[in-house]
Amino acid sequence: MNAARPFDIEKTTTGWRLCLVGDWRLANLAALDQALAGHALPEHGGITLDGAALTGLDSAGLMLLHHRLTAAGIAWPSVELAGFDAERLALVRLVTDRLAAPAPAAEVRPGLAAALGRRVSRAAAELPGLLVLLGQISEGLYDLLRRPSGFRMREFFVQLSAVGLGALPIVAMMTFLIGVVFAYLLGIQIEKYGANIFIVDGVSLAIARELSPMLVAILVAGRSGAAFTAQIGAMKVTEEIDAIATLGLSPVKVLVLPRLLAIVVAMPLLAFFGDLMGVLGAATVAAAQLDITLHTFFIRMRDVLPFSTVTFGLSKTPAFAVAIAFIACRNGFAVSRDARSVGERTTATVVASLMAVILINAFYAIVHPEL
Amino acid sequence: MDSVLEIDRIKTVLGGQHLHDGVSFRVRRGEIVALIGGSGTGKTVLLRQCIGLMQPQGGRIRLLGEDVWALPPAGLDALRRRFGVLFQEGALFSSLTVAENVGAPLREHTGLPEALRNWVIDLKIRLAGLPPEAAGKRPAELSGGMKKRAALARALALEPEMLFLDEPTSGLDPISARAFDTLLRTLCDSLGLTALLTTHDLDTLWGLVDRVVVLHGGKVIADGPVAEVARVKHDWIRAYFSARMKE
Repeated sequence: MNAARPFDIEKTTTGWRLCLVGDWRLANLAALDQALAGHALPEHGGITLDGAALTGLDSAGLMLLHHRLTAAGIAWPSVELAGFDAERLALVRLVTDRLAAPAPAAEVRPGLAAALGRRVSRAAAELPGLLVLLGQISEGLYDLLRRPSGFRMREFFVQLSAVGLGALPIVAMMTFLIGVVFAYLLGIQIEKYGANIFIVDGVSLAIARELSPMLVAILVAGRSGAAFTAQIGAMKVTEEIDAIATLGLSPVKVLVLPRLLAIVVAMPLLAFFGDLMGVLGAATVAAAQLDITLHTFFIRMRDVLPFSTVTFGLSKTPAFAVAIAFIACRNGFAVSRDARSVGERTTATVVASLMAVILINAFYAIVHPEL
Repeated sequence: MDSVLEIDRIKTVLGGQHLHDGVSFRVRRGEIVALIGGSGTGKTVLLRQCIGLMQPQGGRIRLLGEDVWALPPAGLDALRRRFGVLFQEGALFSSLTVAENVGAPLREHTGLPEALRNWVIDLKIRLAGLPPEAAGKRPAELSGGMKKRAALARALALEPEMLFLDEPTSGLDPISARAFDTLLRTLCDSLGLTALLTTHDLDTLWGLVDRVVVLHGGKVIADGPVAEVARVKHDWIRAYFSARMKE
C-alpha cells in the first residue's frame, strides 16, 4: 500500500459515502487495517459503500471492512452498495452472509484446579484399558496352556530375533564399556589401599547383581519397547488391528503374546551375556592397570561371586520384561488414528517402562538386601 | 476468456510405462473442470505435475501465466501462493488445530499481526462452511466431511486464484458430497476461483462442473460439457456413464 489513502469519506445529502480506493486484498491487509484504525468513521446517518475505484477486492479485505464498520457501530445490513459489478457483489454477499453468524463463545481457559482435575481424570480413564489388556493377556496365556498349538511360533521367533539377537552388539558394547569404566575408577581408589585384588569382588558383584540387568532392561525398554508401541500403533492407524479382530483372530494372541514371551525369554539371556561382557571388560582393565592376571581374576571371582547372586540378578529380568512388554503393547493399542499419537505413545512407553524398571529393581533390592 | 491453466502435450513415464502420451487441455478463468479416467490413468499424477510436485518427462504446463517446470525454485514458491490444493485425505497437520492449520500459510507468507490473522482464519473457516466452533478442534476429532472443509479452508487461506482438488467428494456420504459440491460452486462463483478437480463421482460431474476432460490410454479422449462427453461413442466413456444413462 502506497501513501494514497485506501478510502475517501464524503458527506452526501442522505448520509455518508465511503469510497474504497485501490487494492483491498490480503497482501495489503495490515496497511488497510492501520488506515481504518486511524480514522474515525461517521456513526450517524446512512452509509453508502462505493466500490467503483477499487482495483482489487478479496474476501479478506471485505472481512476487514465488515469487522471495522461493525466495530464502529455500523450494522452491515444498513450499508448500501454502489459501484460494485456483479462478480464483486457476489463476493460481498457470500462474505457478509457467512460473517453474519454469531461468533463462537470465547474459549474459557481452565483454571489450575480444572487442569489438574482433567489430567487426573484422563489418567484414570487409562485404567480400564490397562485392566482389559491384563485380562486379555491372562486369558490368552490360559488358552495357550490348554492348547499350545495355537501359539504363533513364527511371530515369536521373529520377535525373539529382533529383541534378542538384534540387541547383542549394543549390549556387548555397553556392558563391556561400563565394566571397563567401573573397574578403572574403582581401581584408582582401591590401589591407594593396596587392596588391588578386591577389585574382583566389587566389580563382579556389582555387574552381576545390578549393572547388567539394569543396563539390559534400559536398553530393551528403549529399543524393543518403543518398537512394539510403534508397530502396534501403526497397525492401529491403518486399521490392521480391526482387520485381525474381524478375521476372527485375537489381536492379543497374534501380536501381544509372541512379543511378551519373546522379551521374557530374551531378557535373561541378554543379561547373562551382559554379565560376561561386563566382567570381561573389568578383567581387561584389572590386567592392564592393577597387574591382576586373567587367571588370578577368575580364580578370585569363583570364590567371591556366589552363584545365587548371578541368578538373583537374572531373576529380576523377566519381571522387567513383563513390565516393558505390557506397557509397550498397552500404549500401542491406545494409539488413536493420527500420526501425532504414535509419537506421543512411543515416548510414553519409554518413559513409563524406564520408571517401571527402576521401581521393580528397588523392590527387589529391598526384598533381598543381602549380597 | 483467458486460460488460467494450459496443459500442453504432457508426457509422463512412470516405472517404464507411458502414463501420459501427449495430454493437452486448457482451463479458462472461472471454470470448474473435472478430470476423469479409470484408476491408474494418471489423473492424480497430472494434478501433482500442475502443482509442481512431480516433473513430467515432456511437454509444458502453464499455470497463471507461468511455466511451472521452467521456474526457479523461488518462482515456484511464489506461484504456489497463488493456488490452493485440497489433497484427497485432506492432509491436515494432525498436531495442529483447525485454526492453526488454516493459519499456517498465513503465518508463513503474510506479516499479518495476530489479531488480523485470527480474523482471516475465522473468515476462511466460515467460508468453508464449518461452524466457527470447529476452529479449536484437532483433525482427529472431525468427521470426513468436516476434514475436507477444514482442508478447503486452509487451501483458501492465501486468497488463491486457482484451486486443485483431488477427489474432493471421495469418502463422503451422498448428502455431504452434494453439500460440498454446492459449497465449491458458491465459492468459485463468488471468489472468482478457477478449479481443476479429479473425481469418480458422477453426481459431481452432472451437478457441479462446467467441463469434463477424459483421460484414457495416456491421451485426452473427450473434452467438453458433461452432456456432450456422455454422448461420445467410446467404450470406456459409455461404460462409465452407462449406469446413469439407463436411469
